[in-house]
Amino acid sequence: MKRIGLLSLVVAMALPLVPNPAEARVKLITLPVRERVEVQLDHAHATLVEEERIVPLVAGANQVDFSWANTRIDPGTIVFRVIGYEGEVVGKNPATQPEVNVLSVSYPPGESALVWDVSSSHSGPVRVRISYLLGGLSKSFNYRAVAEHDESTLTLARYIRVQNFANEQYQDTQIHAGLGGQFSKPIGLNETKEILIEKIADVPILKTYTCDLAQYGYLDPAQKKLRVPMHYVLTNDEDHGLGGESLPHGKVRIFQKDSTGTTAFTGEDWGSFTPIDDKMKLYLGTAQDVVVKRTIERRDRTKVGGNLSHFDVIVKYEIENFKDQAVVLDIAEQINNLRNETGLGSNQQAEWVIGEQTTFTGGPDAEESSQHRVLFHAELPARAGDKAEKIVHMLHLQFRNQF
Amino acid sequence: MKRLLTLILVLTFTIPTLARNIDLSTVPARDTVQLTIYNAEDLTLVRETRVISFKQGNNPLQFSWANTLIDPTSVELRFLTRPDELTVVDTTFPHDKPQMLYWNVASEFSGVATVEIAYFTSGITWSADYTGITDPDNKTMRLEGFVTVTNNSGEDYEDAQVRLVVGTVNLVEKIAQLAQRGMMNVPAPAGYGGAVPGVRMDRARREVALKSMVADADASYFADAQEERQVIKEGLSEYFIFTIEGTETVPNGWAKRMRSFDAADAPVKVQYRYRANEYGDQLVRMMLLTNNEESSLGESPLPDGIVRLFRRNDTGSLSYLTQQSIKYIPVGDKIELNLGVDPNVVFEVVDLRTFRDNIWGSINAKIRRRFDDPGGVRIEDRGRVEGWDEHTIYAQRIRNYTGKPIELEIRRAFGGDATFVSRLDTKSHDFQTVQFTTRLDTGESRDLLYELVQRQGSNQKQNRVEIMKADPADVPWMN
Repeated sequence: MKRIGLLSLVVAMALPLVPNPAEARVKLITLPVRERVEVQLDHAHATLVEEERIVPLVAGANQVDFSWANTRIDPGTIVFRVIGYEGEVVGKNPATQPEVNVLSVSYPPGESALVWDVSSSHSGPVRVRISYLLGGLSKSFNYRAVAEHDESTLTLARYIRVQNFANEQYQDTQIHAGLGGQFSKPIGLNETKEILIEKIADVPILKTYTCDLAQYGYLDPAQKKLRVPMHYVLTNDEDHGLGGESLPHGKVRIFQKDSTGTTAFTGEDWGSFTPIDDKMKLYLGTAQDVVVKRTIERRDRTKVGGNLSHFDVIVKYEIENFKDQAVVLDIAEQINNLRNETGLGSNQQAEWVIGEQTTFTGGPDAEESSQHRVLFHAELPARAGDKAEKIVHMLHLQFRNQF
Repeated sequence: MKRLLTLILVLTFTIPTLARNIDLSTVPARDTVQLTIYNAEDLTLVRETRVISFKQGNNPLQFSWANTLIDPTSVELRFLTRPDELTVVDTTFPHDKPQMLYWNVASEFSGVATVEIAYFTSGITWSADYTGITDPDNKTMRLEGFVTVTNNSGEDYEDAQVRLVVGTVNLVEKIAQLAQRGMMNVPAPAGYGGAVPGVRMDRARREVALKSMVADADASYFADAQEERQVIKEGLSEYFIFTIEGTETVPNGWAKRMRSFDAADAPVKVQYRYRANEYGDQLVRMMLLTNNEESSLGESPLPDGIVRLFRRNDTGSLSYLTQQSIKYIPVGDKIELNLGVDPNVVFEVVDLRTFRDNIWGSINAKIRRRFDDPGGVRIEDRGRVEGWDEHTIYAQRIRNYTGKPIELEIRRAFGGDATFVSRLDTKSHDFQTVQFTTRLDTGESRDLLYELVQRQGSNQKQNRVEIMKADPADVPWMN
C-alpha cells in the first residue's frame, strides 16, 4: 500500500469554562491550509520547502501542532517565522503593538510532529511561514543541443527535471531552481516534471580534435596511431550568446542538422558545471578522418658530470587529414608519461625545456599547458582531391639535470 | 498521569513489621522540583521538596523509584526546616524490593517539616542548537540559540525549575549503569531509547497539551500576551549555568525546545579560506562572526551544538546554506561557519616549471684504458649528486564568478628547508606554513605566482620555510 504523507497544521484553541477543566472543556481545532508554497532547489544537496499559512490565533496562549507522517522532513531544520497579523485584529489593549512570540517547541515521543506554544497579544489571523528540509524532492538538469550542418553554431535548450518522491503533493508551487530562475507548477505524488528553462539559438561552438596518448590512448597500437576524440566547446559568455548564469551539471544530448533539415543524434555527454566565462567541453566520439601516427624519433643522453645528465627526446607526429575541410588538431603530451615511455622515469620532478628542433609554431598553449602537460595546435589543410597531405611535426624536449 | 517516584510515610509500624499484610501509609506530594542537567554526561541532579508531618519518635519513610533511571547510591534526604530536631537514624535498601529504600527518621516533635530529596538520574539530557538567517547580502545575521531538554528518564517532571550546566564533569561510573544495577528483571522505562514505532500517541499529546494549557490558564495565562521565558546565564568556576525562568513541564518521552538568545543583527564577514589540514584540499567559503556585545551576543559562552544556516532572499523566503556542529565558543571568540566549496570561485594550483641548480656531488674519478687501441684512454667520473636546490614555480589560479568582490586567505605548508619567493602579501603562519591574502573583484581572474626553492640532499640545513620578497623565476615556455 502506498503511504501518503500527511503534513498538517492544527491550531488548538481551548477555553476554560469550568473550574475542573480536564473533563469539561470545549475544544475546537482549526486546520489552516497552505496559502503558498515555495520549493528552493538552489542548494546542491538539500531541498528547502517553505509554506505560508494563515493561522487564527487568540489573544494569549495558542498551540500550533505540526505533523508530517510518512514524509522525510528533517525536524531539526524546521523554522517557524511570523510574518504578521492579517486584516482585523482584536486587542485587549489597543495601545499595545501586536506581537506574536514562539515560547517553546515540544516534541512528542514516537511521532513525526511538534507543538509550538505561541503567544499572541491580540486575536486575529496571523500569517506564518514554516520552512524545512525535505528528502525525496530532487532536481536535475539536462540539455538538448542541435548543431547546424556546418557545426559552427548550435541551439541549446536547457531543462530542469523535478522529481517528487517526498510523499507529499504540492499544488501551485513556486519552484526556485537556483540556476534557471523560478516558475510556478503543481507537483503531484511520485511525479516527475521536466520544464524548459531557456532555449538559445546560434550559440557559436568550437569543434576540437585532440590527441593525447596518456589520456585517450591508441586507435591502433601496432601502428602507433593515436585516438583522436572530437569535442564541442561552448564558452559561457555573452560573446557566445550565453553568460547569463552558470551552466549546471547535466546530460547533454547532441544532434546535428543534416542537409535535408532533419536532425541526427550524434552522441551525448555529461556537461560539467560551467561558471560564467568558463568553457563546457562535450565529447562527441572519435574522429576517423584525422590520422596521427606518433613515434619517438630520438633519445640522446648528454653527460654533465658524475651521474648528472641531460636527455634529449624528440617525438614525431605524422598527421593526415582526410576531411574535405581544414581543421586544427590539438596535440598534448603528459611529461611524466613521456619520461616513463623513454626510460627516464624518476621520483624527481622533471626539469624540462622545449628544444630547438620543435616544429610547432607559437609555443605551447599557455592556458592549457603546465609543468606536467604541454599542448600545441597544428593546422591541417583540407584534403586536396583524393589525397591527404602528410604533415610532420616534431616535439623536442630536453630533460635536464637528471640523476 | 504518570508518577513513578513515591515517598510514603508509613504509619504505626516500624520496618520489621512491614511484611504484614495489613498496612497503612500516606503519600506526601512533591512541592517543588529542580533539575540540574549536564550536557557533557548523561547526568541530572534532581532536588525535590515535600512537606511531611512527623510524629515525635520514629517515623519510617519509604522512597521508591520503579522504572526510572535513578542512581540508588546518590539518593539523599535533608531537612530544610527544623534540621536540629530531625535525624535520619538509618537507611535500608531491602533485598527483595529493588528501586526502593527506607529511612527511619527520629523526630523530637510532632508537626510538619520540609524535606529535600536529592538524587542523580540519567535519561534527561539537554543540547544546544542554533539557527542563523543571513540577510540577502550576507552582511548581517540573525542568530538564535535554543536549548532542548529531552526527558527519557521514565518520570514526568512537572513545573520543574530547569538549570542547564555547560562544562565537563568527571564521573568514575556512569549513572545509567548505576541505575541499572540490581534491576535486571525490570523492563526499561517506556520511552527510553526510543518509543515504540507506529504507536500513535496523539491522544497522550493532546492530554498533555491540554494539561499544560490549563496550568497556564490558572496562572492568568490569558490575561496578557505571554512573555517568552528568559534564560538566565551565570558563570560558576569552570562551568556555566543556564537557568530557565519560571518552571517547565517535561513529560517522560517528550522533548522541549526553548530559545536561549536572539541576536538580531550580528555583523558577519565572508572569507574564502584554503587550509588543507583543516578544511581539506579545497577552497571553502567561511562566514565569521564573534561572540561579543557588538553582535548582540557575548552574554555567555555558546555550548556545543548544531548551527543551521539559511539566507533570507530578496523576496523574504529562505534558502538553505549549510549545517554544521560547533564546539564550545567562549565569550569574545569567533564563530566560524564553513559553507563549503563555492562553485562560482575557481581555485586551482598549476605547476608551471621545475628546475634544479646549486647541484653538488662527490668526485671519485678513475682512469680506464682501451686494450685493443693503445691510444684509447678515458677518464671515468663516478661522482654522484648529493645536494641540490629544486625550484618550482606555481600559479595559484583564482577566478571570481560570484556577483561580489571576495577576500581570500590561503595557507600552504611546505616540509624541509624551503624558501617561498613571491611579491604576494605574505606572512609566516608557523615555521613551515606560509599565509597569503588577496582580494578579487567580481569577474576577476588572477594568477598568484610564487616560487618554492627546496634544498635537497646535503644542501638541506634547516627544516623551515623562509619568505623572500622577490620575483619568481621566469617560465620560458609562457613567454
